[in-house]
Amino acid sequence: MKFCDCNCYFGYVGLPAFRYAKNSDELVNELDFCGIGKALVYHSSMRFDSPVVGNKLILEEVRNKPNLIPSWSILPFQTQELATSADEFLEEMKKNHIKVLRAFPDEHRYFLDELTFGHLFELMEDKSIPLFIKSNWETADKLLKSFKKLNVVVTSHGPHGQDRYFRPLLEKYENLYIDTSSYILDRGLESLVENFGYKRILFGSGYPENYFGSSLLRVAQAEIDEEAKKAIACGNLENLLRGAKL
Amino acid sequence: MKNPSILAKEFMNRGFSLNCPIIDVHGHLGPFRGVYMPSADINLMIRTLKRCNVRCIVCVPHAAMVDPQRGNELMQKTIDKYKGIFLGYWMINPNHREIIEKDLQNFEKTRGFVGFKFLADYHTYPITGENYIPALEYANEKKLMILVHTWGDSQFDSPKMLGSIAEKYTNVNFVMGHSGFGDWETSVKLAKELPNVYLELTAVWASHDFTTQAKGSGTPVPLSSFLHINGIIEFMVERAGSKKILFGTDLPWYSPHYAAGAILFSHITDEERHDIFHRNAERLLNKFL
Repeated sequence: MKFCDCNCYFGYVGLPAFRYAKNSDELVNELDFCGIGKALVYHSSMRFDSPVVGNKLILEEVRNKPNLIPSWSILPFQTQELATSADEFLEEMKKNHIKVLRAFPDEHRYFLDELTFGHLFELMEDKSIPLFIKSNWETADKLLKSFKKLNVVVTSHGPHGQDRYFRPLLEKYENLYIDTSSYILDRGLESLVENFGYKRILFGSGYPENYFGSSLLRVAQAEIDEEAKKAIACGNLENLLRGAKL
Repeated sequence: MKNPSILAKEFMNRGFSLNCPIIDVHGHLGPFRGVYMPSADINLMIRTLKRCNVRCIVCVPHAAMVDPQRGNELMQKTIDKYKGIFLGYWMINPNHREIIEKDLQNFEKTRGFVGFKFLADYHTYPITGENYIPALEYANEKKLMILVHTWGDSQFDSPKMLGSIAEKYTNVNFVMGHSGFGDWETSVKLAKELPNVYLELTAVWASHDFTTQAKGSGTPVPLSSFLHINGIIEFMVERAGSKKILFGTDLPWYSPHYAAGAILFSHITDEERHDIFHRNAERLLNKFL
C-alpha cells in the first residue's frame, strides 16, 4: 500500500528530543526505513524559528528530492514579514511550486481569523489551497465559520480521544479534515469512518514528535475496507494537492 | 521498507505475529468521563485484543477510580468470565482507608489479581503518604506487583517518589505506568539500578501536547506535556535494557497497533522487541498465565 505522510518535519529542534532528522537527507532515510513513499513536509524553522527563515530553507532542502513536497507557513501580512499582501505571497508560492500552507497561530502569536487573514483565505478558497493548522478546536471552528469553502486540515491535535470536540465540527463543516498523527484512540478510525466516511482523514505521522511507525501500522491495520484505507493512506492527500490551483 | 525487522513485516502484513504475542500490563475497562472510547464495549475491546494477538491484558476498571468496591467487583467478574484473557490490579484508593483495610483482609480470596494499582494523580494523594503503607506492606509480604501511574513532575507520583518506595519495599515489583512521563532520565536510572522497578510504555509512544486541549490533561492537577517522543524506546533500551520494559496501552483508550508501531519501527532488534512485547511480562506474571 502507498503511504503519503501529510504531517512531518525535519531540521533542528530546540526542545528536548531523542532522535530526529536534522536535514532532508536524514528524513528521506527514515521514510525509506518505514516504507513511506512520499511526504508533505515542513522545515522545523518554519515553526520553531520563523517562517521568514524556514520558508526559504525548505526550498533548498527539498530540491532534487521528488518524494518530499514542500509547504510554507503563514504570518499576518500587516507586519510585512513574508510579503506585503496576500496577492504577492501567492505569486511567490506559484513561483516556488508551493501548494499547501501551514499555520501555527498559538506558537506564532496571531489570530487565525477573518480580520487577520481575510483576503488570503478568500484567495485560498477560490484556488482550493489547503491550510494545515496546529491549534485547538475553537480556532478551527471560528475559522471555518467564516470560510466554509476553505480546506482546513487539523494536525497533531493532541493526546487522548478528542472526538467530543471534533465530531460536531466534522458534522458541520464539510471542508474540515483531520490527520491521524494524534488519533491514538482504539477503534477511533473505524468508528470515524463508519460515521463520517473516509474522505476527510489523512495519514500523518507527526514525526519527529511521534514515531512514523505508530500511525503507519494503525492505518495499515485499521478494520476498514481497502478503498477507505488506501484513501486515508495517500489518496485523500493526493486529491487535496491535485485540487490546489495556483 | 528498509526496516529489517521480521516482526515489523509480519505486523504490517497481518496485524500480529504468531511468534510474538503481546501481553499488555496496563489496561482499563468500561467508559471514562474525559474520553469517548469505542472499545469501552468489552466485545470491541476483545476484538482489538484478537486482531493484535494480545494474549492477556492486566486491567483496572475506570469505575474503580471513583468507587473501588464497585470497580474491583467488576474486575473480578471480568476475570472470571474471560479466563486467561483478563487479569486484574486491585485498585487502592488512599482516600478510603477503611476500604483498603477490609480489602487487604480479603485479598487472598480474589482470583486473577496480580497486585494493586496506585493512581495517585487522580486521587491527589502522594504514593509516599501513610494511607498507602498498609497496601505496600501487604504487597511486600506477598510479593505482589503494583502498577503505579507515574508522571514526571507530579507532586503525587513522580519517578523520584516511586524510587523512594521501591527502595524500601524490595519484594514488590513496581511497574512504572507511563515510565514517569517526561522525567525520562530519572525513570531509566531507577529501572536500571533497582531490580524491582520496570518501565511501562503506555502513552510513552505518543507526543503529549496538552496545550491544545481546553482542559489540559483532564486530571485534577494538570500533567505536563512532552513533545518529542520519537527515539524514546531506543533511549530506554540503551539505558535500562530491554528486559526492564513492559508493553501497555491503557486500552480501551489507545490502539495497541499504534503503540506496537512505535516499537516495531524503532531502531532496536527483534530480540529486544520480544522482551518488550511479551517475555518480560511472562516472567513477571508466570504463575497467572
